[in-house]
Amino acid sequence: MSAKSVAKSALPKDSLELDLATFAVDYARKIGASYADARLESTAVNGFVLKNGVPQVSGFDIVQGIGIRIVMNNTLGFASTNNISREKVREAVEKAAKLTSAASRIGEKVKLSGAEAQVASYEVKQKVKLADLTPKDKLKVLFDAEKAMKATKVNVTGRFFSMSDFYTEKYFASSEGSRVLSRIPRTDFWYFVTVEEAGRTAQRYWQYGAAGGFEKITGSDFPGLLAAEVKATCNNIKKAVAAPKEKVDLVVAPQITGIMVHESVGHPYEADRVLGREAAQAGESFISAKMLGTRIGSPAVNIVDDPTVPGSFGYYLYDDEGVKARERWLIKEGIITELLHNRETAAILGTESNAASRATGYDREPIVRMANSIVKPGDYSEEELIESVKSGVFLRNFMEWNIDDKRLNAKYTGAEAYMIRNGRLAEPVWRPTIEISTPKLWSSVDAAAGNMEYHAGTCGKAEPMQAIPVWFGGPSMRIRNIRLSF
Amino acid sequence: MKKQAVVAGAGNESISKEEIAAYLVKQLRKKGADDVVVSAGTEEAVQLKFSNSTISTTQSWHSEKLNIFMAVDRKLVGTSIRSLEKRAVDDAIAKMLKFAAAAVPNKEYLGIAEGPFSYKEIPETYDKAIAGLGDKAVDILNGAINIARKNGAGRTAGVFETTVSNVYLLTSNGVEAEDKGTKAYFSVRAFVDKYASGHHICNSRVLRKFTPEASAEKAATIARQAVNPKPGVPGNYDVIFSPLPFANLLESIGKAASIFNVESKLSCFAGKLGKNVGSTEVTLVDDGSLPNGFDSVKCDEEGVPTQKNVIIDKGILKTYLHNTSTARRHKTKTTANAGIVSPNPFNLVFEKGNFNKEEMLRQVKRGLIVTNVWYTRFQNYESGDFSTIPRDGMFLVENGRVTGPVKELRISDNLVRILKNVAAVGDEPEPVFGWEVEVPTITPAVLVKGVRLTKSVE
Repeated sequence: MSAKSVAKSALPKDSLELDLATFAVDYARKIGASYADARLESTAVNGFVLKNGVPQVSGFDIVQGIGIRIVMNNTLGFASTNNISREKVREAVEKAAKLTSAASRIGEKVKLSGAEAQVASYEVKQKVKLADLTPKDKLKVLFDAEKAMKATKVNVTGRFFSMSDFYTEKYFASSEGSRVLSRIPRTDFWYFVTVEEAGRTAQRYWQYGAAGGFEKITGSDFPGLLAAEVKATCNNIKKAVAAPKEKVDLVVAPQITGIMVHESVGHPYEADRVLGREAAQAGESFISAKMLGTRIGSPAVNIVDDPTVPGSFGYYLYDDEGVKARERWLIKEGIITELLHNRETAAILGTESNAASRATGYDREPIVRMANSIVKPGDYSEEELIESVKSGVFLRNFMEWNIDDKRLNAKYTGAEAYMIRNGRLAEPVWRPTIEISTPKLWSSVDAAAGNMEYHAGTCGKAEPMQAIPVWFGGPSMRIRNIRLSF
Repeated sequence: MKKQAVVAGAGNESISKEEIAAYLVKQLRKKGADDVVVSAGTEEAVQLKFSNSTISTTQSWHSEKLNIFMAVDRKLVGTSIRSLEKRAVDDAIAKMLKFAAAAVPNKEYLGIAEGPFSYKEIPETYDKAIAGLGDKAVDILNGAINIARKNGAGRTAGVFETTVSNVYLLTSNGVEAEDKGTKAYFSVRAFVDKYASGHHICNSRVLRKFTPEASAEKAATIARQAVNPKPGVPGNYDVIFSPLPFANLLESIGKAASIFNVESKLSCFAGKLGKNVGSTEVTLVDDGSLPNGFDSVKCDEEGVPTQKNVIIDKGILKTYLHNTSTARRHKTKTTANAGIVSPNPFNLVFEKGNFNKEEMLRQVKRGLIVTNVWYTRFQNYESGDFSTIPRDGMFLVENGRVTGPVKELRISDNLVRILKNVAAVGDEPEPVFGWEVEVPTITPAVLVKGVRLTKSVE
C-alpha cells in the first residue's frame, strides 16, 4: 500500500486530519531535526463503574492530540499538544527543538537502528460495534455481575466492577517515509470483591481485556467467573489450612504463570532497563546483554512476547516507531535468546529493533514495552501435572505480588489454593506464598501443560506513568522442590 | 473576573473559557440538569529525563481541557472536551444529554456544594521564576548531576520537571473560582555501582525553595554508603524509615481515609472513626491549603475552599475525607476533598517529632534504616496486610550504630500494625512526591518497632 493510499483510506468524518502528522515531521526537519516522527491519535473512551450495586459517574471522552519526536543535535526530544491546529503543532515542534538543542550539550548521543520504512493500514474488526451500544447496554454487564454475586448467597461485602471501552485511531508518520494507520478497539472489565465469612475477609481482583468489539465482553461469562470466584474465596476462608513448611512441589495455574512471566521475564528483558534508561523509575535489570545465549531456566521453559496475537489486549502490527511487529523469543529451552528493543536500544547493542516501542497515548514518548508475554505450552495436561505430585500445593490465582526493581526477587501470594495429596487436590490452603529469585524459579520449572490462557493487565512504566494494555499467560506449570515463605 | 481569550478557531468568534463555561452551565440547566460543574484548564509542562548522567530526552506538553460533570435525576455523567469552539461544545451538550437519558440513577448522590464561596490566595503556589525558567532548566540539572558526581556517584538518573497551569471553575450552584500554579519537581537516583544506589526527591511551588543540588548530594551519599551490601537476614527489626519510604506508606493511609475507599473495602479504616489506629506519636493531616503544598489549590473540584483536616490525631482516627454528597449521606460536613466521585487527599503532612537522627539511631538495638521502597501491594486492603520492597541503600543498625549495608529483604507486614508501632518521629520533615508517591506528602524519618522482614527462599 502506498503512502497516498493510506492517506486516502479516510478516517471517519470529524476524525483526524492525517496531513497534520506529515506537516509536523516536515516542519521539524525544516528547522534542523535530523530525524522526526509524529503520532496523531484519537481515542474514544466510555467508562462505567458499579460500586456495591450503585452506578457511579458514567463517562465518555475523546482523547485526541499529536506527539512529535525529534532528534536534534543528536539528542532526543518529544513534544505533544491536544490542540491540533497547525499553529499549536508548529509551536510544539519549535519548543521541542529549542529545548532539545539546549539540552544537547549534556545529552545522550542518540542513534536509531536501521528500519525499513513501512506504509500500511490495518484495523481490528468489531463483530458488535462499541459505538452502537447505549450506556444502559454496557451498565447491564456490571449489573449482571452484581446479580450473580447476590445469587451465590456468599457474603460479598465489597463489590466494585468497572467496564471501559476504547477505540483508538492512530496515524504514524516519520521523516524516513513510514506511514502507518491503525484502528484498534479494546474492551476492559475489572472487578474487586471482598468476601466476609465468620469475621474474616479475603479480597480478589482481576481484569479481562481484549482487542475487539463488544463481543469480547458478551463472549465472556463474567457472572459465572465471579460467582465461582467468590464461592471459592468463601470456601478458602472457612476451610483453609496453613501452608506446608517443608519443601514441596507446586503446580501453578495460568494466572500465576502469567504474572511470573510478565514480572520476572518480560520486564528484565526490556533493553532500556538493561541500559539504565529507566533507572530512577521502573528500575534496571539483573539481565545484561552478555547473558544472551546463557541458561536461565530448565529446558522446559519457552517464553515469547508477541504483539501479533489476534484479539489480544496488547495487539499491534506496527510499533510506535513504525517497525513491523513479530513474535520475540525471550527464552528458548531455558536459554536467553532475545531482549525487547526499540530502535534506540537496538542501535546501542548492535542489533535491530524487534518492534517493542510503545506509548500509551499521543502525549507520551514511546519506550520499550511488552505486548503479550506467555510461556509456551508443554506436552502435559494440568491433571497430569497434579497427578504427578505426591505432596504439594496447587495455586489457581493470587492477590498480593511484587518484585524488586532489578527483577531478581519476587513474591506471589496465592488466593485460591489447595493442597495436593497423592496426586489429587485436597483441602484449601491459606495464602501460600512463593518468595523466590528469578533464576531459582525458572530452573525449578520442569513441566508445562497445554491449557493455554491469556490474561489482561495494565502494565506501569515510565515517568509520567504509562499504564499500557498487555496480555500475559501460558499454561499451568510444575515447579519442583520449593519451600514456601511465611 | 478578567476574560482570557483561549481559542480563535477558524470560522468561530474568539471565545473565552469563562463564556464557554457559563454557556455550558446555562444550556445544561435549561435542558434539565440539576447540577453542573465545569472546569477549564490549561497546562504547560517541561521535563528533562536523564540517565547515565546525560539527558535521555526532553519532553514538553501543552494541554487545554474542559471537564464537565452533570447530574440529571441522579444520573451522573462526565466528559471532557479539548476544542473550545462553540460547535464542539454544542456537540458535547447533546451527547451528554443522550448519554444521561440511557444511564441509570445513582440513588446515593446528594448534590454538590452551594456557593458562592470566597477564596484566599494560598502563599507560595505560583512563581514566575518557574514559569519563565526555559532553557535554564538544563543548567540547573547539569549542576545537580555534577554535585552527585563530586559526591561519588558514578552515574545518575531521574527527571527534572516544571509545570505551569491554570484552572477556572464554574458550577450551577453559584461557584466561580480561578487558580493558577507552578511546580518544580526533581527526582535523582545515584549509582556507585549496579547494586549500590541512593534516591532523593525534592519539589516546590517556588524556585527559591527548590533544592536539586542538595537532593543530588543526599542520593550520592546514600549510594556511596551502600557499596558491597550483604544479604539480609529475615526476621523482626526496628526500622527507621527515611521520609521517602514512609511517605509511600502514608500515601496508602491517606487514600484509606477517603470515604469512597472505605465504602469500597479498599481501606483499613472502616468502622474505626474515633478509635485508636496508631500510636500516640501518629498525627496525620491533609491540607489542600498548605503554603507551598505541591497539590495545594484554592478549592476542591466542586468549589469548596480547601482546608486543613486532621485525619489521625495522636493515634485516633478523627475523620474520613468527604465531598458534599458523601458528607450529606453520612450526616457530616464536607472536608473539601472533592473529587466529585471520590474524595482524595491533597497534601498529607505527618506531624514532626523531637528526635534528631542520632537520637533516633540510639533507640535501635537491632534494626534497619530503609531509605526507599517500591512495589507496595496489598493482600487485603481492609485488614491492611501488605508487602513492599526496600530499594537503594538499606543499612543494618546494631546497638545504636550503623554497621553496614544489606540487601534483598522485603517488608511483609500490616499497615495498622505499623502505625501502632511508631515509636519515634524525626524533627526534619521533607516533602516527597514522585514515581512511587503520587499524593504529595511531607514527613520526617520515623522509627517503627518490630517490622517483619522476609526474603526469597534458598
